[in-house]
Amino acid sequence: MSAEKKMSRRDLLKMAAAGGTGLVMSGLPVRVIAQDMVTIKVQTAGLGDNSLQPVADIQMARNPNVNVEWVVLTGIDHEEVAAKILALVAAGESIDVGYAATEACQLFAGQGLAAPLDDRITSDPDQDFWTDFFSDVHPSLTEAMMYEGSLYEPPRDFNAANMYFNTNVLAENGFEVPGEEWTKDDFLEIARGTTKKDDSGNTEVFGYAWTNRLWGSWMPWIFVAGGNLYTEERAPGGEWVWDGYYEGDMAADGRGGGFRWREPVANSSEVVEALQLVVDLWQEGVTPDIAMGTGQTLTGFYSTGLLCMTPAGGFWAGRLGNEGMAKGDFDVQYWPNWRNQKHQFGTGGHWLSTTSTAPDEAWDFMKIEVSHDGFQSSIFFNPVIITTPSRRSYSQANAFETTGPANSDVFYGTLDDHPSTSPIPAPPWSNPMTTIFTTYTGFAMSGEMGPQQALDEMQAELESLTNREGRKYYQE
Amino acid sequence: MTSRKSTAVAGGGIFHWLMQDTMDGLRRRRAVLGYLFLLPTLLGIFIFTAGPVFVSFGLSMFQWNIFKPPDFVGLENFERLLEDRRVIIGLGNTVKFTILAVCSQVSIGLILALAVHRISRVWLRYYFRTAFFLPLLMSGASVAVFMGYIFHKEFGPLNYYLTLLGLPQIPWLTNSDLVMISIAIISAWRNLGFTFLIFLGGLSNLSQEVLDAADVDGAQGLRRLWSVVIPLLSPQILFATVTGVIGALQVFDEPYIMTRGGPGNASRTLVMVMYEHAFKDIEFGYGSAIAIVVFLMILVMSIVQMWLWRNRVFYQ
Amino acid sequence: MASNATRIPGDVSAAEHRRQVISHQLGRWIPLIILGVMSVVILAPIMWTISTSLRAGVDSFTVPPKWLPTDLAVENYAQVFEKVPFARQILNSTIITWGTVLGQLITAALAGYAFARLEFRGRDTLFWVVLATMMIPIQATVIPVFILIRNLGLFDTVWSLILPATPTAFGTFLLRQYYLTIPIELEESALIDGANQWQLFNRVYLPLVKPGLAVLAILSFNFHWNEFFRPLIFLQHENYPITIGIFQLQGYMMTGSISVVLAGVVVSLVPVIIIFLIGQRYLIEGIMRGAIKG
Repeated sequence: MSAEKKMSRRDLLKMAAAGGTGLVMSGLPVRVIAQDMVTIKVQTAGLGDNSLQPVADIQMARNPNVNVEWVVLTGIDHEEVAAKILALVAAGESIDVGYAATEACQLFAGQGLAAPLDDRITSDPDQDFWTDFFSDVHPSLTEAMMYEGSLYEPPRDFNAANMYFNTNVLAENGFEVPGEEWTKDDFLEIARGTTKKDDSGNTEVFGYAWTNRLWGSWMPWIFVAGGNLYTEERAPGGEWVWDGYYEGDMAADGRGGGFRWREPVANSSEVVEALQLVVDLWQEGVTPDIAMGTGQTLTGFYSTGLLCMTPAGGFWAGRLGNEGMAKGDFDVQYWPNWRNQKHQFGTGGHWLSTTSTAPDEAWDFMKIEVSHDGFQSSIFFNPVIITTPSRRSYSQANAFETTGPANSDVFYGTLDDHPSTSPIPAPPWSNPMTTIFTTYTGFAMSGEMGPQQALDEMQAELESLTNREGRKYYQE
Repeated sequence: MTSRKSTAVAGGGIFHWLMQDTMDGLRRRRAVLGYLFLLPTLLGIFIFTAGPVFVSFGLSMFQWNIFKPPDFVGLENFERLLEDRRVIIGLGNTVKFTILAVCSQVSIGLILALAVHRISRVWLRYYFRTAFFLPLLMSGASVAVFMGYIFHKEFGPLNYYLTLLGLPQIPWLTNSDLVMISIAIISAWRNLGFTFLIFLGGLSNLSQEVLDAADVDGAQGLRRLWSVVIPLLSPQILFATVTGVIGALQVFDEPYIMTRGGPGNASRTLVMVMYEHAFKDIEFGYGSAIAIVVFLMILVMSIVQMWLWRNRVFYQ
Repeated sequence: MASNATRIPGDVSAAEHRRQVISHQLGRWIPLIILGVMSVVILAPIMWTISTSLRAGVDSFTVPPKWLPTDLAVENYAQVFEKVPFARQILNSTIITWGTVLGQLITAALAGYAFARLEFRGRDTLFWVVLATMMIPIQATVIPVFILIRNLGLFDTVWSLILPATPTAFGTFLLRQYYLTIPIELEESALIDGANQWQLFNRVYLPLVKPGLAVLAILSFNFHWNEFFRPLIFLQHENYPITIGIFQLQGYMMTGSISVVLAGVVVSLVPVIIIFLIGQRYLIEGIMRGAIKG
């Protein structure tokens, strides 16, 4: 610390002496770190070093003794970032605040790395803040961040699996964006009707494509077919939030202390049917080969008019614009009805590390991030939406005015208007579970196994995984 | 030097003992220098290579995720390994990859070296040598990245030219039967330069008369190539094969980047399974057990190499 | 067997002669054709990479593929440095690689000399022990080394890669071979001139094994500059080397532009090409020598 101080003093001296050159050098960041500074390390993912800088700026302006450092971890998908965090902590590094989507929330809570936030919220003198926050955040998002009765992350963003359309491809084939009540059969008609093949049978434009991952791959079909990978149970507890902050909110009725995904049911007839559906589309040439790794080029396909439909959430709205798609080139609709219209989502936010040396300052950071100030300055939501805000008031049509889609009310509507909507399954062992899920998805989508066989074997592996891990994490 | 003497005297004594201007003193100086010179290497090897191997064996008997205290489980990890489908498939894929990649890089490298060796124009030789060597300068990671695009089924340049020839679009990286072959082709593309240079080096060492005798064109030339030149190159072939096999058994970068082990488990290699358990699920004990399997495979290959080395025939 | 080769052309009938001429011509042209085709096959992916790296994002997946860089979209190269801390990662790669190379040169020059030219008890046993460690793959040690690095507090620092890679059994072995080729008479005359043991090593031997040091340096540079597995485990984001930077360019959920990714590939290749142009003689010699010595 003292060395840094010396350095910066020397820099200041140099600047003063250099006079004119000082003008140039003052562009360099020189931060004088005082002796009693508190440094908090915040882990961020995905977008680069400065994605949370606005939040840090607000905090540092309010409390000059706080210094925020970034620990940037990157991965292709949520489970890779989660694995990086685990490796970081395993390597003895400490962070104060970490990011986790639904995929890893219970993972960090279950490992004892994330601290429960219940007491911090209920004993916060600024109760108006929390009343306002929870009234603005749908209860299902809050519930998805709970584990065994406690809340581990205030939700910052979420993405529900909705259907995106390339409206130009639709129009070329005489289709329109379907209505809210559309069905699986409508979907098949559009998917087949927009697929274009050349003379030798190779597909040139695909009707439907998806990526092999946990959220938003063929998982939405599992839900609307009436299945899931695991049974959904609710842990007891959580009354403090439902009765305390969501009182009178009908949507909060019947919620508990977080989900327990305990019994794998991956080979139920509903799941088999769902897999059969996407396998059939692949065999017909409506869907391209589903690859992992470098093979994934979905945004590229979509924005260049080679693809009509794909599952995505609000996070695509701003990004497609960045890829060069104009407003009106794309639109969105709810997932189609099959046996039901149960939608799914994943949510994201920050958790507080149990090993934090400055938990109060870390908690301040987390609070600022989900406050109005935080949302108004966040680069995730400004100038365009690159992930759907968890707060209803920031997910309204005006937020999507410059980018589209026209049906942007679908995003929050998935929560508000569809009470059956629930999170993707993500128990504390979600990392190996995701590997198993994507592996057997790959088996089926490459024709190596039929859907029934792939899911029977997936089920067997999930059972042995759950037997090995499950007992450690969920109380009886 | 008895232990009773004071340190200062002892120090002076050692100095004297060492600096004595006799043959004995010289021998001592050289011996001490030898130990000193070896110290960094020996210490480093002990700390970072030899020691950790033994620790790995120890760790493989524990169940440990570092966040919670380790549990001693004896040989349970190895029992789990025998039933672990991903380990068995990973082993199979690794062996399949090794055979495909090594056979192609050795045979093609040999053909190219024989052909280049016959070329007398300097600039042509230089061109071919550089062309074949260039891919070796790239990292496996960047090769995997751009080859992933080139081998893309729908929009990759490779399939475009194949469809011009009337072939269907080939799912290079998305078909379970093809994916390991594709990765082996890509890996051989990169390593060709290595085997090529080894054989070129071997050829340039052969005496000219031997080569002239074999340098007959047409069918007889080919037969003579087979019966004269190839045996003469056997040390190089052996070297290229064994180093190739040892490298291929550790394959990770290319399948990890291009396919993440998919589709299904079709390109999951043993090292990838080890990486996933050790550094994705933080299972250090089970990860160590898989690491030991990798180690034993390479140990066996190295012993085979040494055994063949002892029996190899020198033609020069 | 050799009768065909020694037969005089006058002996053969015209048909036989023609066949021989054709076969001779074939023998000249077939290898050249094979080589020509192979060099195109090997260079084409690199050409495509370079030309696509200069193409606007929307056109990167054009069918049919274009080979000439039509758009000259140099901004792809600027984006490489914006999307990930690529400049920093180039610096990391440079520090890690040169740190490792330097460490290997020093330790191997010393150890190789000790094994080749100094006499002491246990020398041969120690030599075999060092050689034997060449059989140990990185995977067999990576978990304990991870724990060690953690306990030393070196995780996510360049030292976590440099230190474990510094002791080199291969380099020691290679340099020992070089020292052994130096005639012992040189040593004797230096001793008569009054050189002490350090001077003998420093002034007589070391300058003479410079080619060996160059071979080791360039092989080691190529290997460590291209490393992927260890950095993936021991480093994080900011300290990543360029190999992982390219991988990162593909972006979250592979949303990165292909042209930008390929621009990153091209950038990462530049330093290795430069090193290759400077030291290709040594690199090629190193590989060929490996084959001769075994």
